[in-house]
Amino acid sequence: MSVLSVRGLTKRYGDTLAAEDLSFDVERGEVFGFLGPNGAGKTTTIRTMLGFHAPTAGTAELFGHDVREEGELLRAKPELGYLPGSPAFDGDVTGRGYLDFHARLKGDERREELLDLFSPPLDRRIREYSTGNKQMLGLVQAFMHDPTLVVMDEPTSGLDPLKQERFNQFVREERDRGTTVFLSSHVLGEVRRICDRVGIIRDGRLVALEDVDSLLDRGGKRVRVHADPPLVAAELDVPGVVDFERLGPEARFTFTGDYDDLLAALSTHSVVDLEIEEPPLEDVFMHYYGAAPDDDAGDAGAPRDANREALEGAGGG
Amino acid sequence: MVEITRYEARRRVRGTVALSLGVGLFGLLMIALYPSIATSGVDFAAYAESLPPAVQAGFGIDAIATVEGFLAVELYQFLWLLLLGLYVAYTAGGTIAGDIESGRAELLLAAPISRARFLVEKFLSLLVPVAVLNLVVPLFVYGGVIAVGESLSATDLLAVHVLSVPYLLACAGFGLFLSTLVSRANVAQRVAIATVFALFLVDSVTADTDFEWLGVLSPTRYYNPTEILVESTYDVTGAVVLLVAGAVLVLASVASFRRTDL
Repeated sequence: MSVLSVRGLTKRYGDTLAAEDLSFDVERGEVFGFLGPNGAGKTTTIRTMLGFHAPTAGTAELFGHDVREEGELLRAKPELGYLPGSPAFDGDVTGRGYLDFHARLKGDERREELLDLFSPPLDRRIREYSTGNKQMLGLVQAFMHDPTLVVMDEPTSGLDPLKQERFNQFVREERDRGTTVFLSSHVLGEVRRICDRVGIIRDGRLVALEDVDSLLDRGGKRVRVHADPPLVAAELDVPGVVDFERLGPEARFTFTGDYDDLLAALSTHSVVDLEIEEPPLEDVFMHYYGAAPDDDAGDAGAPRDANREALEGAGGG
Repeated sequence: MVEITRYEARRRVRGTVALSLGVGLFGLLMIALYPSIATSGVDFAAYAESLPPAVQAGFGIDAIATVEGFLAVELYQFLWLLLLGLYVAYTAGGTIAGDIESGRAELLLAAPISRARFLVEKFLSLLVPVAVLNLVVPLFVYGGVIAVGESLSATDLLAVHVLSVPYLLACAGFGLFLSTLVSRANVAQRVAIATVFALFLVDSVTADTDFEWLGVLSPTRYYNPTEILVESTYDVTGAVVLLVAGAVLVLASVASFRRTDL
């Protein structure tokens, strides 16, 4: 039996179709990444599959319980941990007071252990918390009752690179002890580090559902080569070179082939500088799903920049 | 079983204590003024007669010359009936809508709690201001009346407070219901106070007129501090009507909240 089973889930707000006919399963003990650019419908899908929003059509089952029926949902919830995107707390309560409150509602057998990893200032009022501290408090409350399934919406947003790495490590350990993790992200690099399988959502529709490895094979890498003399396309006859372009002395392309072949080809040139990096999520869409996501112009720059930043941050940490 | 109520109640304590002391001190101030007003030779009867009959009845002004009438007009008819009614309606209006708007509701409802329980416990936490105000303020009032050398029926004073509880709960129930209907907390709050105020006005200005039936929907129709203090008449039926109305509003809120997208 799947821990989470989404069946034809559709959510419409007036004329806006936020999620359309989504179907996928998350199996026990896997880390499932729900990947998509900002505004793709990730948060709506999460809220609907957890029963916070009523689906327009279709449904989701948590541990076999239909989330549309409150009685059934209540039977699933003791085994659910949830971290919303930008979690909201009561500002006038201390972190400890808030955790005490949640402990009375659902238990807290793992609280101390989690506070060793994620350490918000428990005796301060939450209104004084930074975004990162709120995120850590949210993580502790999501895991402290030792749930079987933890659903997290953009869990690493607001965490510094060191804490992000700690989080990644933590999620892998959780998976190893059998916890099922569902997390959303708009950062490909984050998902590839911790997830076993990925669902990609764009404009409310699931466009891909596959293992992380095959996704990365398809996604390829962004390669920048500064050679002297500059590289021309014809000289680089290696399978897997896509979208070759020249910008001054620098050649740029997406590479999905074998690194040995690439390095062998480059070895006949004088390489001044070489960069191989994760492609932005938008490029993955662009190259492998036909078109860039239909973000409006104002929004389109933000996820891309955030993506780059996160990648650099994670690489440095 | 009442963890949410306990948690919310604790958060309300500080504001409630401040409000209770404020209202209590205001009561003392008014009572301190009473002896000099009473002995000033002002002809209250003439003053009362100069007002329209509806206002006389609505505010109980014809009894203003006695300490009971004075308290009813200056403290209970205005501060208790109107301002506290508005306060609880406003506070209740912010509960559910505010939790949904901020995202606190989904964080809580991810725990094994039904929406009905969440809502009812939130409502119960509003008993904190209602109860504390009704326990603290009569002590100020009674002490003040004794201190200025007057007397007051303790039974009537108790009754005016006990019977205000159904009234305040009905106002809270109305605010709560709006809070489940409107997605923005400040809209729910504003509509709540505007409605309670409008109903108060309608009931007040139509009293003893041909349009008195218009006030039948107003909670103020079922709780009359002046009658209790001046005439020792207790409208128990009215209190029951208010309790039933409050309960119906809470049930309607549950039904509405269960269909709400968080």
